[in-house]
Amino acid sequence: MSARVVPERQRVARRTRREWLTGYAFVAPAVIVIGIFGLFPILYALYMSLYSWRVRKGPFIGMENYLRTVGDVRGAAAFFGGLLLVLVAHWLWTDAFRGGRRGTRLALQAAGALVLLGAGVSAALGWRLMRLHGDRAFLQGLVRTVFYGFGSVPVQIVLALVLASLLYQRIRGHEFFRMLYFLPYVTPAVAGAAVFRAIFSPRRDFLANTVLSWLHIPPQRWLFETKPVTEILFGGLLERLGIHASFSGFWAGPSLALVTIIVFGIWTYTGYNAVIFLAGLGNIPRELYEAAAIDGANGPQQFRFITVPLLSPVTFYLTVLGFIGTFQAFTQIYVMRQVAVRDAVDTASVVIFDTFYKRNNWSLAAAQSVVLFAIILILTLYQSRFFGRSALRG
Amino acid sequence: MASLERRTALPAPDLGSGSGAPARGRAAPHEFRLAQLPVYFLLLLGAVVSFTPFFYMISTSLMTLGETINRRLLPATPQWVNYQRAWTEADFALYFRNSVVITAVVIMGVLITCTLAGYAFARIEFPGREAIFMVLLSTLMIPGTVTFIPNFLMVRGDVIPWGSWINKLPALTVPFLSTAFIIFLFRQFFAGIPDELWDAARIDGAGHLRFLTAVVIPMSRPVMMTAALLTFVHTWNEFLWPLLVTTTPTWRPLGIGLYSFISEAGPETQLLMAGAVITILPIMVVYFFTQKQFTEGIATSGLKG
Repeated sequence: MSARVVPERQRVARRTRREWLTGYAFVAPAVIVIGIFGLFPILYALYMSLYSWRVRKGPFIGMENYLRTVGDVRGAAAFFGGLLLVLVAHWLWTDAFRGGRRGTRLALQAAGALVLLGAGVSAALGWRLMRLHGDRAFLQGLVRTVFYGFGSVPVQIVLALVLASLLYQRIRGHEFFRMLYFLPYVTPAVAGAAVFRAIFSPRRDFLANTVLSWLHIPPQRWLFETKPVTEILFGGLLERLGIHASFSGFWAGPSLALVTIIVFGIWTYTGYNAVIFLAGLGNIPRELYEAAAIDGANGPQQFRFITVPLLSPVTFYLTVLGFIGTFQAFTQIYVMRQVAVRDAVDTASVVIFDTFYKRNNWSLAAAQSVVLFAIILILTLYQSRFFGRSALRG
Repeated sequence: MASLERRTALPAPDLGSGSGAPARGRAAPHEFRLAQLPVYFLLLLGAVVSFTPFFYMISTSLMTLGETINRRLLPATPQWVNYQRAWTEADFALYFRNSVVITAVVIMGVLITCTLAGYAFARIEFPGREAIFMVLLSTLMIPGTVTFIPNFLMVRGDVIPWGSWINKLPALTVPFLSTAFIIFLFRQFFAGIPDELWDAARIDGAGHLRFLTAVVIPMSRPVMMTAALLTFVHTWNEFLWPLLVTTTPTWRPLGIGLYSFISEAGPETQLLMAGAVITILPIMVVYFFTQKQFTEGIATSGLKG
């Protein structure tokens, strides 16, 4: 998109200069505000992270805060390198489809797959190194963020797609449903979270446990439960089979407390995603469905072979947006976390806030936030790479 | 400053004209068919899940303390006094006033700074225009998690010596007085205004400011409305930042008031829920009356939260 250009005319130099000054005067207020509170903080965060800074500025300590955060330089390099290699793999893969002879295409595809594999291995090995010496709270927070993302985003997307395609049929009360679905999204997260705290109370006769009792499931402790969900789901069963499994580490999954917060996330964003999907559905040409119907395709087939592929850019957009959102999620987690579960629900941004607010280690918090920013930036790169558009459609 | 909850603006897929309204062609409009019964069932199920927390909140806010403990579904007689108590005893009147003032100031500021900037980026030629615009836009990718620490120092007056703004109105408003996203939105819109109008205004002797106020702004009511709505929601729902910069109730907005109430209210759930209703209500009212613009504004803006 390019801005409309004021028609070029012969102007005297003085007039041009006046025009320039008007331009600068018009953008000045915005540039000052955004410059001070949007751009400058990035530089200042980098600057702070190089000092020892606990409420008061201390001596220069170089990269020590970063070292403390990521634990191991080689580990961090391998981890972030792995994340970036995914982009290279994607580039090789798409390039392979851009013509060329069959031989080269096959070679490029193979190279792409190989690079992807290497990316995975590198990121995983790097992560293990980082875990050995890095800041436990922060890295654990990243893991929980990943749980939060993988627990909420795919569910949101699938539910939203179902709701959107149902709504897209000609039905009565279209507007009414759309309004209701969108309601959670505009609700202040504090208020929503306050209600969820009450609904998911560990007491027997509160809403969530009442619903469980209808299904003959014993009451749960929800936000107070630090046990991983896998243990709650399968622990009893394995016990009865005489297997004493220990549920810990990454593969045990998130705690039930975190899952409850994930439920809140799903409740909040499903309607939003559905509205975006609806907009996407409106852009699919009718003729495609008509042609498919003539060829004898039924409803589900049309959904599978027309709707899903043509919506895939929207789906991808919502997925990446959702993941970036989970890396920034704060309010609902901060409000819903109970003292009793300690750090069981603290995602990366909550950890950063605590490092700043509770541990009062401002420079470490700054370093952590820079690391988190790097991860979000890579996710943004994925988005623009896979979309094949400039990052900021300016 | 980007709010922490705001999701980074990314290239959105072209959602263009698709408003989400069902297109012609399938079944006849609004004709109820039996085959659609499962569709309605699923849609209703979704609506119930969506709405249950609201129902729970409203219903609990009208209960007596005893009823909240014994978990009735509905109060025997609505206890409107809960709202009165939350409003006066729990200081929600003050928080409400604060939220209204903060939001009004931010909306005004955003509309003024972003209209001017959006206009200049769209219609005035000056050196460095594109570069400045791109730099501003790049701030949309910066998460609030990164900016909140330096900005805290900034409003304390540690970086620029303007004195501490903590617990004062500027801390809650000044950092938000302009956002790149709204500038972007305005630039798109203003660039589409026909050049003939500008030429005519020019002949009449009008300058840019005259043209902007007399012609462009009246033409841009819908996009201004969208911008105001987006700003309203973001400001009203902001949490982390006011939590940091309000240590006393003086300028504490509703969200933080509600949060401090969660820890202080103890077992008085009905008051907490009344507070939650008070926090949500203005958003709901605005949403209800501007629903179409609201939903579509957010849907096409490619912004979350």
